[in-house]
Amino acid sequence: MSDNLATNSASAERLSALSDGELDAQGTLAACADWRDDESARARWHTYRLIGDVLRSEDLASTADRDSSFLLAVRARLASEPVVLAPEPMPELKVESILSSFDAPAVGAINRRWRWLAQGAVAAGFVAVAGSLTMLWAPVKNADTSASLAAAAPVATQVINSYTPELNEPQLLVANGQVMRDPRLDRYLAAHKQFAGAAMIGVPSAFVRSASAEAPKP
Amino acid sequence: MNAPDADAPLVERVKRGDVKAFEMLVVKYQRRIERLIGRMVRDVDLVPDIAQETFIRAYRAIPKFRGESAFYTWLYRIAVNTAKKAMGELKRDLLVTESARASKDDEDDAPRAENDATDGETPESLLASKQVAATVNSAIDALSDDLRQAITLREIEGLTYEEIAELMNCPIGTVRSRIFRAREAISLRLKPLLDARQGHRW
Repeated sequence: MSDNLATNSASAERLSALSDGELDAQGTLAACADWRDDESARARWHTYRLIGDVLRSEDLASTADRDSSFLLAVRARLASEPVVLAPEPMPELKVESILSSFDAPAVGAINRRWRWLAQGAVAAGFVAVAGSLTMLWAPVKNADTSASLAAAAPVATQVINSYTPELNEPQLLVANGQVMRDPRLDRYLAAHKQFAGAAMIGVPSAFVRSASAEAPKP
Repeated sequence: MNAPDADAPLVERVKRGDVKAFEMLVVKYQRRIERLIGRMVRDVDLVPDIAQETFIRAYRAIPKFRGESAFYTWLYRIAVNTAKKAMGELKRDLLVTESARASKDDEDDAPRAENDATDGETPESLLASKQVAATVNSAIDALSDDLRQAITLREIEGLTYEEIAELMNCPIGTVRSRIFRAREAISLRLKPLLDARQGHRW
């Protein structure tokens, strides 16, 4: 019994902090799970937010009946919406982790990290590309020295994303509503020999923004 | 630099496919969005529908939201656009409605008054809303100074925990705890008003 009280209190405190945007990622995950599984958590979130609204302006006062009816109506409509997925924009860190994996000595190491890409002939092509990428530039740690990083980013991005349509990995498929196509990869493979001399690869910036190179968590 | 968007953690969850997390944002902003739409659209009947439409459109457009503005600012714009669109459609339908209403009025002895609150609001629920407001106010007054100050700085002044901690000269953990306890104390007073009936509602 006391366990339940403690759990409820911790859950309530999480909701309180989350509603202020002051909860870390792990806590947010737990709070969202509470929202999903526990009706009293949902009621509590509503009460907290109602309190906040009323403190700011009394004409925002409402009843639980009215507000829950609204939520139920939206919930019903959301149920028939396709789930939206939007990968995060690729920060420099992620590029580094890709580049450092390109530096891995053994092909096997590359395959282990990117095994979700390693399907049939795709793997051979990818590894070959990865091998040639390693020779083209070294990983750049500092974002300031990053004409080369900017050049690196779109290339790494382009490689990863060009393979995703075949894999049906939703995180990488839906990139701001754009699905990457194979013909780009064909052009890339044909053109990559030219990269050795190019300072900047002319990839549209939208391309870079819409990429996520994060491998799905196993 | 503005304070970080308090909604960022939840928006991130939604972007990763957590639809339920979006519901939390709905509950958070429903009242404000309805009030906004109510100022634009004269017919109160339409407010809940337009508000719901606003949230659905926001949900669909979440991949395009990149945090360049606060989430609520972005949602606000969607609400305005949704209301404008609805009013535009209304104007087109106006002739049809007017002719239909004209024939109906012949049979109807008591035509609907213009300020009937028919958006789910009955006189009873309007009274209930006022009671909620009154209860929150008296509960706030009954709080200890520390709790009242903490929740006031957060909700009315919009300060972050860090800023409040500096102002109140206490650790951030204390701020978090005081705000939580303030909310719990007020919630306790609201319970009789909000938990009117048992059963699944949320």
